[in-house]
Amino acid sequence: MVTVTFDKVRKAFGATVAIPGLDLAIASGEFVSLLGPSGCGKTTTLRMLAGLEQPTAGEIRIGERTVNNLAPSERDIAMVFQSYALYPHMSVRENIAYPLKKRGVPKADRPAMVQAAADLLQLGPLLDRKPRQLSGGQQQRVALGRALVREPKVFLLDEPLSNLDAKLRAHMRAELIELHRRLGKTMVYVTHDQLEAMTMSTRIAVMQGGVLQQFAMPGEIYHRPANTFVAGFIGTPSMTLADGEIAMDQGRPVLKLGTLSLELPSDHLSDRPDGTRRVTVAVRPEDIIIGTGSFRANVRLVEPTGHESIVLVNAGDVGFTVRVAGDTVLKAGETIPLDLRRERIHVFDRETGRRLNADRAAATADSVRSRA
Amino acid sequence: MTIAASQHRTQNPLERRYALLGVLLIAPTVLILCAVIVYPLISAIYLSLFSIYTPTLKGSWVGLDNYVQVFGSSGFWSALGTTVTWTVGTLFLQIVFGVAMALLLNQNILFRSLARSLVLFPYFVSTVVAVLIWRWLFNDLYGILSHLLIQFGVVDMPVDWLGKMPNAMASVIFVGAWKFFPFVVIAVLARLQTIPEQLYEAATIDGAGVFGRFFDVTLPQLKDVLTIVILLRTIWDFKEFDLIYLLTGGGPVNNTRTLPLIVYQQAFGLNQMGVAATYAVAMMLVMLAFMLIYLYRARRQSP
Repeated sequence: MVTVTFDKVRKAFGATVAIPGLDLAIASGEFVSLLGPSGCGKTTTLRMLAGLEQPTAGEIRIGERTVNNLAPSERDIAMVFQSYALYPHMSVRENIAYPLKKRGVPKADRPAMVQAAADLLQLGPLLDRKPRQLSGGQQQRVALGRALVREPKVFLLDEPLSNLDAKLRAHMRAELIELHRRLGKTMVYVTHDQLEAMTMSTRIAVMQGGVLQQFAMPGEIYHRPANTFVAGFIGTPSMTLADGEIAMDQGRPVLKLGTLSLELPSDHLSDRPDGTRRVTVAVRPEDIIIGTGSFRANVRLVEPTGHESIVLVNAGDVGFTVRVAGDTVLKAGETIPLDLRRERIHVFDRETGRRLNADRAAATADSVRSRA
Repeated sequence: MTIAASQHRTQNPLERRYALLGVLLIAPTVLILCAVIVYPLISAIYLSLFSIYTPTLKGSWVGLDNYVQVFGSSGFWSALGTTVTWTVGTLFLQIVFGVAMALLLNQNILFRSLARSLVLFPYFVSTVVAVLIWRWLFNDLYGILSHLLIQFGVVDMPVDWLGKMPNAMASVIFVGAWKFFPFVVIAVLARLQTIPEQLYEAATIDGAGVFGRFFDVTLPQLKDVLTIVILLRTIWDFKEFDLIYLLTGGGPVNNTRTLPLIVYQQAFGLNQMGVAATYAVAMMLVMLAFMLIYLYRARRQSP
């Protein structure tokens, strides 16, 4: 089957280094999202895989084959672009048939292949229309049809849903998941939208500044972020990130966060050196409990979204973002009791940003996904 | 219902004031257009019905005699043929050079913006200046073209570029192409820059090579602009006067004498303004065909 491997791949544009050195191994049949803010190198990575950019150094392999020196058309990939890039003067039928024509598929074989792709994507009634006569979602499906008609080994998708409205995006997300399940092909998907990455991927590669931050299953990324960047980037609303210190007190780690002091489980950290340790702490909005606990918090702002509310509170000089049920009655200025789920507190080294948690039981929270 | 509504509209004093203002604002343009287009046009048709001596502008009514004479003369038909040869020849070269240059200037080449400005030079230089320089280059005694050809051993004798056929027609066509191809470059380059890069990338991934990308992506996108450019340039080349008149004067032996040159000769050489007007009207009828195509296309694209 078809794996995709980046081996010490480096990309520089003149003096600007976009990707200093990327190692990434995508298994066969995976749906991998490259996720990160704009300028993180995710699109450059995809374009190098497509052959639209040349890596400065390193090796890219599709299956066992090194593709560095192969033209895009020789790599047996198909790509779906953010703008769909449909040929405007060709009908839907001609658009889908175009890669077949260019690859010398006999004319007699093409209609059946086009029809099969059209059936899969419910494009049958649209085959004779021009792209400009189609809605955004339909154009998106034509672009998918053009990609899958010649059964490439790897599908590359460059933010294919970002031009669609929210409702259609949710619908197309489901369609893409379904498509991946049916085709079982390796897919590489670039997005800056973590919701897309979380819902669709078998694994997510979080990138920042051209560097791979974490490559893991969505649950793992969410529950065990590898560093402060991933912790801050994944999750809406974001985790509360705060600087603190951890000191050992009779074998138990005690976290000092502003004026708050809380004892962590004895096996919370992967190692327990003596002395005080400067750390960055991250807490998910749902891991903060309001209404019980020994800390006092001052409510700054309540943002009701319907089924839940996002509450910004101050406790011991630290501003926390808290997620509460939508029917919770809170007023700005109110003082309330607050507690943290200690076992869910993420601890990172303040200098390196590296995760320090011991991570034993958290694995149970991970939902391992396979659509094969 | 519509009548009531329109009555209501005209009765509204504010609407009436706006309407009046609109008429006032548009009036100068209409008057100027009447003075410089409608009047000369009608005047030309009127003159074509008379036999008129140019210096005095006096003459007698001859009805359609001028038309009988013009359409019956071999001079008209051979000039029409010459005009078509010149127009098709120079237009073809303009399009080929223009598109090729636009494609080149659309690439990331060194000194691109400088090259983009320089390529417009022939279009901006005055025709009189350009033609005088070309005549100098073409000169068979001291012209550099013949000199270089002899130097490189291509020919033994200086070439008579302008005094012999088919050299004269080829020279006129070439200078015309040199002078006017920048217009094609501007129009095509502007369109090229709006073709999304992703279309080329998609085509590359779909397996199209350089020519595939040109014929399947670039050319279809250029179709509309090329149609308009060809129509406009056809009309403009068809009525081109100064370039040909200055370069060959219509010679040798009327072999490059296009219709506009005949009009000029009749009006100011032979002092027959009536016949000249007849030629002009005949020319206008030919160009009207192109105008109608242009208007038809423009209307079809606008909604």
